[in-house]
Order: sequence, then C-alpha cells, then structure tokens
Amino acid sequence: MIRIYRQLLVAQIQAAAQYRIQALLWMLFSIIRPVIFLAAWTAVATAQGGSVGGYSASDFAAYYIALTLVNHLCIAWNSFEFEFEIRQGRLSPKLLRPLHPLHYSVVENLVFKITTLLPLCLVLVIVALTFNVRWAGEWWHLVIFVPSIILAAALSFMLGWVVATATFWLQRINTVNTLFQRTAFIFAGQIAPLALMPEWMQVVSYALPFAYILAVPAEILRGGVTLERCLLYLVGQAVWLGLTIIAFRFAWRAGLREYSAVGA
Amino acid sequence: MIRYLRMFRAFASSEFQFEMEYRGNFYLSILEMFLVIGTSIAAVLVMFQHTTTMNGWTLPQMIVLLGVYYMIQGGVNLVFSPSFERLMEHVRAGTLDFHLLKPVNVQFLVSTRHLRVVRAADLALGLAVVIFGLVQVGAEIGVGPAVLFVLSLLFGIMLVYSLLLGLVTLAFWFVRVENLLAIFWAFTEAGRFPVDVYPLWLRVSLSTIVPIGIAVTAPANVIAGRMDWIAVAVLGAGTVLAVGFASALWRWGLRSYTGASA
Repeated sequence: MIRIYRQLLVAQIQAAAQYRIQALLWMLFSIIRPVIFLAAWTAVATAQGGSVGGYSASDFAAYYIALTLVNHLCIAWNSFEFEFEIRQGRLSPKLLRPLHPLHYSVVENLVFKITTLLPLCLVLVIVALTFNVRWAGEWWHLVIFVPSIILAAALSFMLGWVVATATFWLQRINTVNTLFQRTAFIFAGQIAPLALMPEWMQVVSYALPFAYILAVPAEILRGGVTLERCLLYLVGQAVWLGLTIIAFRFAWRAGLREYSAVGA
Repeated sequence: MIRYLRMFRAFASSEFQFEMEYRGNFYLSILEMFLVIGTSIAAVLVMFQHTTTMNGWTLPQMIVLLGVYYMIQGGVNLVFSPSFERLMEHVRAGTLDFHLLKPVNVQFLVSTRHLRVVRAADLALGLAVVIFGLVQVGAEIGVGPAVLFVLSLLFGIMLVYSLLLGLVTLAFWFVRVENLLAIFWAFTEAGRFPVDVYPLWLRVSLSTIVPIGIAVTAPANVIAGRMDWIAVAVLGAGTVLAVGFASALWRWGLRSYTGASA
C-alpha cells in the first residue's frame, strides 16, 4: 500500500506541476473569507473599546489566522467533483481498477495542500503583521494541534465523500452542497469564534460535525483552550470521524447498486 | 435602441424556456438563495449581539448593505456572467465567428446573449432584504434618495460589468482566463461588509482591482444618508469612464481574435 501511494504521489505531483498558477488561485479561496471576518470583528472590537467577550483584536487575529490555516488544510472538494464524474461516466473505469477511487482523491488532496502550504504561510505572515497578532498558547497546544488537524482533515474529507455519494440517488447535488456549506458557514466557527455565539448556537455547533473541522483545531492552535477541553475536543473529532467513515461505507455500497452509468 | 431592447427580450424569453425545462432545478436554486441570504443575515446578527455599530454602521444599515450585495451579485449573474462564460468558450473554440457575422453590436451580443433567469430571484430577494433593512432603519425614504439609490445601484452593476468585460477580453490573448474570474469571484465575497472595515491594502485592491467594494457600499451609503447627489454623480462619471475604457479594450482585443475564419 505504501508503495502504491508513493507512486501515486509522484504522478500527482507531476500532474499538479502543470497547474501551478491555478493551485495558487484556488488557495485564495481559503484565505479570503477568514480575512474578511477578521476585519469585521476587528471593527467590532474597536467599537467596543478593544475587546469583545474576552477576545481582543489581537486574539481575533490569532483565531482567524489559525482558522485560515486549518481551513486550507481541511479543504475537500469531492462533493463538487463527484457529480461531474458520475454524469460523464468517468466513475466506471475507476471502479474497474483494483484500488478504491477514494485513494486517488486522497493523493490529489494531499498534493494540493503540500504544494500550496508555503505560499499560504507567506500570505498569513503578511496578514499577521497587518493585524498585530498575539499568540496566547503553550507548547502543548502545538503538540495537540497535530493530531487535531489530522483528524479534522480526515473528517472533512470523509464528510465530503458522504455528501458526494448522494449523487448516486439525486444526480444533481448542488442544493445538498449548498445546504452543507451554509450550515458549516454558521456552525463551524467561520462567522465568529464559537465562544461568542449565542448559547443555543454553541450547543448546536458542538453537536454537528462542522466545528470539529474548523473551530476546534483553530482554537487549539490559537492556544485558547485548557488541556482538558483540548482532549475532549479530540474525542469529539474521533467520534465524528468514526461515524462518518461508517456512513460512507454504507452509502457507498448502497449507492453503487443504484449507479447506472455506461459500463456499470 | 428599441431594436436592442426587443432583441434582449427575445434572448430572455428563449433562455427562460430553456431553464423551465429543468423546473425542479429552478425551484431548488431559489431555495438555495434563501439559505444563502438567511445564513448571511444570521452571521451579521451574531456580530451585532456584541456591538451596536461596526465602523459607524448600525445593524439595519448593515442589512441594507447585505441586500445591496445580493442585488448586485444577482444583477451581474443574471445576464453578464452566463454570457461571458459562453464568450470565453467561443473564443477558445473559434465559434465567435458566428457572433461577428451578425449585423448587431458585438459587444452587446456577447454581454447579453445568455441569461440565467433564476438569478432574477436573487435581485428580488436582495430587494426584499433592502426593504426589510429600511423598515428597521425606520426613516422615511423620500423620492430623492430612492432615485439616487436606484442610480447608484445601476452604476455599481455597470462598474462590475466593465471589470468583467475587461477580464474576459484578456481571453483574446491568453485564451484561458477562467482562473482570473475565479479570483474575481473570491474577492466579491468581501462585499458583504462595508469597504471601510478593511485594512488599507485590502481596501485598495477591493476598490481598484475589484470595484465590488464601491459597488456595494455606495447604494447602502445613500440609504444611510452618507452620500448626496454630487457623490452619486461622481460615481456615475467614474462608471461611464470605466465602461468606456473596458469597451475600448474589448475592441482592441477583438483585433487579436483568430477564429476559424479570421
């Protein structure tokens, strides 16, 4: 398996090298929204005399810069691509191969993130300087961030695949995608750090998977949570990842039976 | 002029019939827009739980701004983006020849030929949000500001149009410009907050490279009473300049077109 992955990685890096500019442009999508909300919250903090609910302007900067990095490392686009693959019948040849289609997209996903990480960090340094960032963490925050971001990226990826399998039944999943995107927009910690949301929204956020993809790793990286909370968050991430993998296995198996493109 | 209006009506009705073939999709698109606008308003509401103003903007004013944001997006996505998408395809494939042969203004044809009729719903929803915000503002809006509002909204849409036309014209030289448009769409997201919220470097790039900042903030400023008719006139003059510059660029680019028979 490791050998297969190494081969796939090399091939994908070569393929991606043809579209360097394109990759950089897609990177912008990870950056723009967090920076927009950072600017807005900075304005709010200023209007309130420097801080809101325990978050100073510098804390907002730290949170949203962490969120940008997390957002980038957790991005997954299969739910947008898969519909196309099914409609064009491109899934059929992939199904014939001995390797599950999932693995190809894991490699694609990893290569995009690895190749764009350095330029992203450069942009983040500029943003950090502009917004006068302050990091409030301890060394163990960074240690816990590593498993947390891996869990988050895996969760985001698998969740994207679960949504993608809806295509087997619905053919077009624009609306499903929008529904997921907008729910994540509200409850993943993009519009505000979770602590600043009304009580009931926090409850919903911690019950849904989206916060475990963005807000949780971002808060850990920012250094804004206690050790016990960090560990609790990791458990939450692991539980959701487990549930999503199970859901995917069921949906995939049932979906393939519905699949009726050419060659199926 | 009448001829062009009649032509536009023909485009619109044919595209409407086309879109009605996929009726389910049509209604779902409208449902999606409700989701998008609803969640955007929710985001602003969460922020204003913690403050009463943001850079001098009150909550009702912010809601008006959000409505304007979706109206401008709706206006642009109703006509210009679908037409330009096809235009890029025509340039790449060489099929722009068919457009060039027709006895009409080519710029008009490529800018308006295709519509995504469902986006008219965005305009309507955006307007509903603006009106909702207005009711919250509580102030009676006189005829004067209302006229200024409509004018600045039109100027805003045309400003974004001129930028899009300029970007799409680059296709004559670089062929593949979808990526440039992707940047543009990424940046438009910034229009959901007033442009003066952003740090200088972002504001400069928003207002010059991507005029969405001006386009969205100006009509909302009219409602907030921060923009008089002189400011709107300046905006209008700027828009005329921008459109003039973009169509000059377009004509220049057209000369570099090498289609199947050119």
